[in-house]
Amino acid sequence: MKKTVLLIEDDYLDIESVKRAFKKLNVDCDLHVAHNGADGLALLTGSASQNTRITPDIIILDINMPKMSGIEFLRIVKNYYSFKNIKIFILTTSMEEYDKFSTETLGIDGYIIKPLSFTAPVSPETAKFIDALLN
Amino acid sequence: MSIRYQLIVGFSFLILIFTVVFFVNQRLSREVLTNTIYLNNSEAVIRNSNALHKEIIEMQSGFRGYLLTNQESFLQPYYDGLKSVPLLLTEQMQLLSTQTQKLKLDSIIKLHKEWISYSDSLISTKKDTLPEAGFRFKKLFDTKLKMEVGKKLNDQITAMFFTLDNYEYKLRLERRDVLQNSISQTRRISIVLTVICILISFAMGFYFLRTITGRISKMVRFSERISGGEFISLPDTKKDEMTRLVNSLNQMSETLSTTFKELKKKNDELDQFAYVVSHDLKTPLRGINNIVNWVEEDHPDQITPELAKSLTLIKGRIERMGKMINGLLEYARIGRVKKQIKTFDLNELLLELKELIIPSKGNLIIEKKLPWIKAEKIRLEQVFSNLISNAIKYNDKENPEIKISFEDKGDEYMFCVKDNGPGIEKQYLDKIFLIFQTLKERDAFESTGVGLAIVKKIVEDNNGKINVDSELGKGSAFYFTWPKQK
Repeated sequence: MKKTVLLIEDDYLDIESVKRAFKKLNVDCDLHVAHNGADGLALLTGSASQNTRITPDIIILDINMPKMSGIEFLRIVKNYYSFKNIKIFILTTSMEEYDKFSTETLGIDGYIIKPLSFTAPVSPETAKFIDALLN
Repeated sequence: MSIRYQLIVGFSFLILIFTVVFFVNQRLSREVLTNTIYLNNSEAVIRNSNALHKEIIEMQSGFRGYLLTNQESFLQPYYDGLKSVPLLLTEQMQLLSTQTQKLKLDSIIKLHKEWISYSDSLISTKKDTLPEAGFRFKKLFDTKLKMEVGKKLNDQITAMFFTLDNYEYKLRLERRDVLQNSISQTRRISIVLTVICILISFAMGFYFLRTITGRISKMVRFSERISGGEFISLPDTKKDEMTRLVNSLNQMSETLSTTFKELKKKNDELDQFAYVVSHDLKTPLRGINNIVNWVEEDHPDQITPELAKSLTLIKGRIERMGKMINGLLEYARIGRVKKQIKTFDLNELLLELKELIIPSKGNLIIEKKLPWIKAEKIRLEQVFSNLISNAIKYNDKENPEIKISFEDKGDEYMFCVKDNGPGIEKQYLDKIFLIFQTLKERDAFESTGVGLAIVKKIVEDNNGKINVDSELGKGSAFYFTWPKQK
């Protein structure tokens, strides 16, 4: 079944590299892109327009973004019962940045470190993401 | 009250007491002296009195002998006495000190004169050869001698001498008692005052010892704590010179504390800045790297050899920039996050590093069995691994050799990493620890120049010191200290 993925990321190059990584991996998914947390939330709730409302299986979330950061976005999303089945992965610059939080406190499913590389060998975290994406 | 003032008051008081003791003793010695003079005088009085009495008695005996025997030779002492007695009397009058005694002597003189006139009249009539002289003598003999006029006078004189002598003896006894009293009184006063002096001296000594020495040692401990980095303040309520010293120490401590706080704040800000900057620099760099990769991926058929070369150069620079940013991040991170402290075996650590870093032709020699150490293992490992990597990286010998040694300095260890490399020129020695400084051209030798800066920062963050000893052509030795943790 074709998965629906929502990528919330403000940097064009990072969006592009996610797309390319998916392409390399031959992932056939329905990829939606939002450029900040607020836009992402609008897509989820359909508050922009009913037509664009999506129900993703996976959200890939950047942390540093204008208008609404990844952390603020998470805080809101976690309050909606209807979103509890969405798997959320953090897209982070480095382990140090990720170190400031933890998977438990954020209530997320995992993280991927930039630059994205899905070519072998991959880290256990990346493997977890690929699993979620493909199965 | 200031200590100087207290000292002046204390010593003045002591000097005052000693002055009193001095004057009391002075007075006593004067009394003793006067008494001695008086005693001498008194003895002379007695001596004179005896001599006088004797002369007078001899005159009387001579007179009686002449009257009985009619021999003129008996009169010799009488005539002698006539000459010597007045002299003795004058002398005695001068020696006598009291009016009562002088009165007594006056009466002796008077009695003696009476006796002289009495004896003289008898002698002259007896000597007279005229016929009626016998009659006159007879008459005198009957009215005077037989009536015991002379004897009565003599008895009176003797009695008078007796009272005079007695009085003198009595006076002497009285004066001796007075002197005795005076001596014992002076002795008492001297002893009491001296004891008071000693007590006061002890009290003063103790007091000043406490206020000065006690507080000095307090201040010493205080400044030791300050130099140990503990910026406390010492309370002192006394208002003297020491208080001023304490106050200036307190002020120093406060200034140091504020300065250190500011310095720490500045350093923290700088670290934070370096961390944020280097972190944020990575994003665009990664972007550029992505783009270069995509250019190669997307247009494989359009890449000319020139373009391929340029792309490779760009990638090389991106990689170097990445390393520098990572180095900077690593450098900024030291001291920000405290890693776990544990006790471990340094020999084991060095052997692991040997396997990782030393090439097959090289050698790492541990000269003396290294100690177990309690430290942030990751940091100490970074120090050793950076120093050893450098020693290998810059080594120009076919068989690079690195020697590790250490010295236990009590509070800290001093480690030495010594190599047989090319050595460093003197003029560059202080530059090597600066960040991004390398002594080789970057294009010829890939190095970011952060390794030694990181080593220095780690060592200093752990309160150690690092320095290098090197001679061109003979290799380098890096020494660093690492304080022992309790």
